[in-house]
Amino acid sequence: MTVSVERKGAALARPGGMRASGFSMRTKRLLWVWGFLALPILFYSVIRFYPTLQAFWLSLTNWDLLRPAKFIGFTNYTKLFSDPQFWKVFKNTFTYLILGTPISLVLAFAIAFFLDRVRFLHGFIRALYFLPYLTTAAAMAWVWRWFYQPPPIGIINDVFGMLGLPQQPFIRSTDQALYSIMVTAIWAGLGFQIIIFMAGLRAISTTFYEAARIDGLGEWAILRKITLPLLKPTTVFLVVFSSIGFLRIFDQVYNMTTNDPGGPLGSTKPLVLMIYQTAFNSYAMGYAAAQTVVLFTILLIVSLLQLWILREKK
Amino acid sequence: MATIELDKIVKRYGKIEAVKGIDLSIADGEFVVFVGPSGCGKSTTLRMIAGLEEISDGTLKIGEDVVNEREPKQRNIAMVFQNYAIYPHMSVRQNIGFGLYTSKLSKAEKDKRIEDAGKILGLEALLDRRPAALSGGQRQRVAIGRAMVRDPAAFLFDEPLSNLDAQLRSQMRIEIKRLHQRLKTTTVYVTHDQIEAMTMADRIVVMKDGNILQVGTPSELYENPVDVFTARFIGSPSMNLVAGQRTGAGVSLVASGDLLIGVRPHDLLARPTPAGGNGFSLTGRVTAVEPLGPETLVHLDTAGTSVIATARDKFVPEVGRQLSCEAATGSLYLFDAGTEKFLGRS
Repeated sequence: MTVSVERKGAALARPGGMRASGFSMRTKRLLWVWGFLALPILFYSVIRFYPTLQAFWLSLTNWDLLRPAKFIGFTNYTKLFSDPQFWKVFKNTFTYLILGTPISLVLAFAIAFFLDRVRFLHGFIRALYFLPYLTTAAAMAWVWRWFYQPPPIGIINDVFGMLGLPQQPFIRSTDQALYSIMVTAIWAGLGFQIIIFMAGLRAISTTFYEAARIDGLGEWAILRKITLPLLKPTTVFLVVFSSIGFLRIFDQVYNMTTNDPGGPLGSTKPLVLMIYQTAFNSYAMGYAAAQTVVLFTILLIVSLLQLWILREKK
Repeated sequence: MATIELDKIVKRYGKIEAVKGIDLSIADGEFVVFVGPSGCGKSTTLRMIAGLEEISDGTLKIGEDVVNEREPKQRNIAMVFQNYAIYPHMSVRQNIGFGLYTSKLSKAEKDKRIEDAGKILGLEALLDRRPAALSGGQRQRVAIGRAMVRDPAAFLFDEPLSNLDAQLRSQMRIEIKRLHQRLKTTTVYVTHDQIEAMTMADRIVVMKDGNILQVGTPSELYENPVDVFTARFIGSPSMNLVAGQRTGAGVSLVASGDLLIGVRPHDLLARPTPAGGNGFSLTGRVTAVEPLGPETLVHLDTAGTSVIATARDKFVPEVGRQLSCEAATGSLYLFDAGTEKFLGRS
């Protein structure tokens, strides 16, 4: 990625006021600029950056809401890394990420690619795909829970029954629950990704395709040599965006497994849900903070890694 | 190389006819320029030849074959677009080589063709650059290079110079013309710029409202336009038109005559003192002058009609004065005032 920072360009070119107030034009502009920036900076410092730093500190203490926090060094971390529950959750989280992101992106791209060519009821179909994105996760999760029930309530097992296929336990099985939840999470995010992919596809000039047709490229070659490379900025954005989404997955899991959040037997539990339970069920704030710091580090590494892998090669 | 035959070609969009049954035959190796205002159907015609638009009616032959139902690739034509259509994610070499994507040549043969095209177009030093690092003129050359390596039956150009500045445009004009003289490939070139048409074409096709108005060499069109539209479209600045009528052997100015008298600004000379010949003369008030260096364009208001004349020999008349301008016998174009058809010279 190349980032070009325009050196105060726009601000300098703007016509300024008069010198009457005693400040020089440059000083006045700086006062305006910082005046406008002050509010968001203040907001972010108090609401975002301070708690973030506080979490780093808390992760080194044994705070439990009742007694004052006491510095205990890296005890929380050593405890975390030797906790089999953590490694289970770690594995779950990465399963969501490593399967969820590519599957959802390939699906979204395929749908966007073909929907882009459909003229008949185009707006309506696009709205249908986008609808899940507008729905609350709680409502969606409940509907999917019903889908996954045994017959006659569960529609999926109903269909399986009609087709003569064996019944599946879905979210009641330790093997299938995670994948069942992943399907709903993919489905929920699909609408957004389709919209972004379609905007990216629309932005590619049609003359590129016409030139390629004249050069005799087939559909597949056009897709591989022109569409996908020109769509790269969109793809990078969606890969990072969707990865962060799967790494932070919480509401889908929590709402689909309300009786035993993250169950059965922790087989669907992601890192965020573990943090939530450590903090607000066990009130081990220091331990939860340590888990948060680990999640933060993972998010940072994954995002930077993706940006580096998908960077513009010179 | 090949001939191109258009036989009653029609393009319909729903009920609208964009191209209304045009006939044209383009000889092998000929450079034909389609010219006309926006929406006249020239680009649509080119795109039908390319195979990017379906032909609603009529037959199109390239060489000996009817190609109406053939894919662009099977027609073996190459096309250069107004916005170049070169791929930003590929180097110049890859872009030029993209024209050979489906070719069965060996790698070495392909490389040689790319190198050759680069050499002809002066791109050798830039072959490994990305398009983002090129100027507009260089990008257009890359697009031409991609068309060249294919060794196509015909080149199609769709307003290729419209995105370039005036200086580059005149330079590229010459380069494309030289390239044609060198390769001798049949070329169809679409433009709305009559200067490009005049300077590059073997034959010009003037189009308006989906019809061909006139086909001819640049000098034929300039000297014998079929009607007022062609006469005013070809030549810059546009031909002056004033109402008049026949008087014996000559013509005279009348406010509501049955003739339109056309005179090109270059033939209508403004002098400090009238020469008093027996040619055609116009008198009016100077409303503006445009000094161009070797000559000055003088805008005159003659009885409500605006006319442009030329002043030579460093003569720049002042704005507001009355001035007489003269045109030599034989330099006038006469048109029927009703049908606007060309009647002859006078």
